[in-house]
Amino acid sequence: TGSAKKDPGLSKSYIMSVFKHFAKTKVSTDVYPVLKEIMERYFDRLADDLEMFAAHAKRKTIEVEDVELLMRRQGFVTDSMPVNVLIEKYLPMESRKLLIPVATSGNYVIPKPRRK
Amino acid sequence: MLKRVPKTTLKSLMKKKAHIRVGTAADAMVELNVLLFLHSLAEEARTKAFEEKSATIKAHHVKAVSKVLVRNSARGCLGLN
Repeated sequence: TGSAKKDPGLSKSYIMSVFKHFAKTKVSTDVYPVLKEIMERYFDRLADDLEMFAAHAKRKTIEVEDVELLMRRQGFVTDSMPVNVLIEKYLPMESRKLLIPVATSGNYVIPKPRRK
Repeated sequence: MLKRVPKTTLKSLMKKKAHIRVGTAADAMVELNVLLFLHSLAEEARTKAFEEKSATIKAHHVKAVSKVLVRNSARGCLGLN
């Protein structure tokens, strides 16, 4: 959908650095065009799924629980692999703070614990 | 140390239509999903490369494993239709 210029996607340096980080072996530079296309298809599907999950819950906003449901369906989140473990394993501190409730002074918890 | 994902780009990629909004922290969850996806892609591409006795991951290794993975993430669609 749309031309590549209109919708730039994630940067080459981001995609390649993350891929190389996880590959733990040499990565040929000709991998990038393939990765770029895969990521385009990945985000197309992701956007469709998230919009559908949100619409199913009669919302117009994509929420954390929609993405969690998606990851359950993708098989990343299972009963033996809870989402919080993945968050702690993969995400940098700043994103983790947004997702995992932490008690602060005065008995405030940030962010608000998610309802189940 | 991993790079941070550009937030505005990520948010625009998460939604196709303008009327859909992205809730607080939902983009952080998508960042996690991107990392998990690239992780499994990288691991399977490496396995594929080693199977073919190559120490370097090349384009065709990634292409070969991507077909299975994209089909796997298509499972996201099945339940609610």
